Amino acid sequence: MAATFFGEVVKAPCRAGTEDEEEEEEEEGRREMPEDREVRQQLARKREVRLLRRQTKTSLEVSLLEKYPCSKFIIAIGNNAVAFLSSFVMNSGVWEEVGCAKLWNEWCRTADTTHLSSTEAFCGFYHLKSNPSVFLCQCSCYVAEDQQYQWLEKVFGSCPRKNMQITILTCRHVTDYKTLESTGSLPSPFLKALKTQNFKDPACCPLLEQPNIVHDLPAAVLSYCQVWKIPAILYLCYTDVMKLDLITVEAFKPILSTRSLKSLVKNIPQSTEILKKLMTTNEIQSNIYT
Amino acid sequence: MASRYDRAITVFSPDGHLFQVEYAQEAVKKGSTAVGIRGTNIVVLGVEKKSVAKLQDERTVRKICALDDHVCMAFAGLTADARVVINRARVECQSHKLTVEDPVTVEYITRFIATLKQKYTQSNGRRPFGISALIVGFDDDGVPRLYQTDPSGTYHAWKANAIGRSAKTVREFLEKNYTEDAIASDNEAIKLAIKALLEVVQSGGKNIELAIIRRNQPLKMFSAKEVELYVTEIEKEKEEAEKKKSKKSV
Repeated sequence: MAATFFGEVVKAPCRAGTEDEEEEEEEEGRREMPEDREVRQQLARKREVRLLRRQTKTSLEVSLLEKYPCSKFIIAIGNNAVAFLSSFVMNSGVWEEVGCAKLWNEWCRTADTTHLSSTEAFCGFYHLKSNPSVFLCQCSCYVAEDQQYQWLEKVFGSCPRKNMQITILTCRHVTDYKTLESTGSLPSPFLKALKTQNFKDPACCPLLEQPNIVHDLPAAVLSYCQVWKIPAILYLCYTDVMKLDLITVEAFKPILSTRSLKSLVKNIPQSTEILKKLMTTNEIQSNIYT
Repeated sequence: MASRYDRAITVFSPDGHLFQVEYAQEAVKKGSTAVGIRGTNIVVLGVEKKSVAKLQDERTVRKICALDDHVCMAFAGLTADARVVINRARVECQSHKLTVEDPVTVEYITRFIATLKQKYTQSNGRRPFGISALIVGFDDDGVPRLYQTDPSGTYHAWKANAIGRSAKTVREFLEKNYTEDAIASDNEAIKLAIKALLEVVQSGGKNIELAIIRRNQPLKMFSAKEVELYVTEIEKEKEEAEKKKSKKSV
């Protein structure tokens, strides 16, 4: 139990499970009306994650990685990570879109990947034309907790192959970084890594220290890979600017020297120019801050 | 997305943080950069002009404001919060003048603003002001002053400082380049402020606004042309320095 400033008593979430008293109360009120069931089913349908094939826009019958063989999978989650891959990796080769994920939740609705504006949320999957076993995912939409498992199932399947390497890139606000120091003194943006047991290569930055807590879709992917013994590494950029920002995107640059990305990146100065252009086209006018 | 907003506004966390105050400091970083330099006979305030929408009147988007004839400030952060703080400070300046028949000292008005900000970190139902301010001016004794305040209500005197986006980069530049020579003359101090801003401003001189106060003179806002002149001079000096370097290496 915790008391807020205004004197209300708020029940703090407890991971040990609910107390016995509560379960008895719940059972009494649990008799479900058919309307409730109907509403619940409708909501579940609305929140379904669908993976669509690019050309035909029909749903994939099997999971993405069961349909296509994969040796390397790079996932960018969040707009800064997506901008990094767009500028540095996608411009250094020919990538073909194989599909996209469509989902809806209270925070976002994914848009069609054919006519995207920079502010719209989307989730696209691509593979390299010259080496189709190299996959890339750009996910700038928020995947809610109840949708994360569906997303994993539709992408990885229920029995994934172990001979692939996963690299995840994402950003988090620096206030999430647990430290004794004040956030103002941290050199943000900075990179931290978290990897699964089977990932043997060295990380290009220090590992995330205890308490090494990760959230949302990146955490779901990492947990999934740990359970299925797939080598995976998450590169987490702690930044103080959560919107699209040049300095935050450039903080991902050390990853370009890792084994998984080295072969995919060709022209870094050109990529930097492309990134700058991306930034200027995305500047949203706002009068709140001066 | 799933951040825990379970901290009440003005209550300490178990490890001693006041999260709302720290988050307010993040709001400051969303404002464009402002730099202040204390010279020997001059104080300089330089700001990065925010890009103004096409139909917006540029004169109404000001980051540098006079508080009195001899004191002015630049801020970074929430525009509306700044307006409220500036209004209160201006009223206080006049009230002080009428009551004690002396203009405020720079330290007095800075302390007033800082106390106001601190009150809002300890009141129920209110949130801290999301601005940091650089306050410059000359006191009656003719000494130039530069103070900086932040959302927590602390204030300190500085020789040179920066606030807002990329403040760290600008501060590091100032730490390297603020020398007695650099502020020897008024022009040199002005150039130092412009050079510091050019480190982080994206499109050069046309996005910089400058204001100075000289001893016993009122606030002077530079026009775009005057800023351009300084920028051209700085670029020339840079080129000459580079030519010398390449000659030496050859």
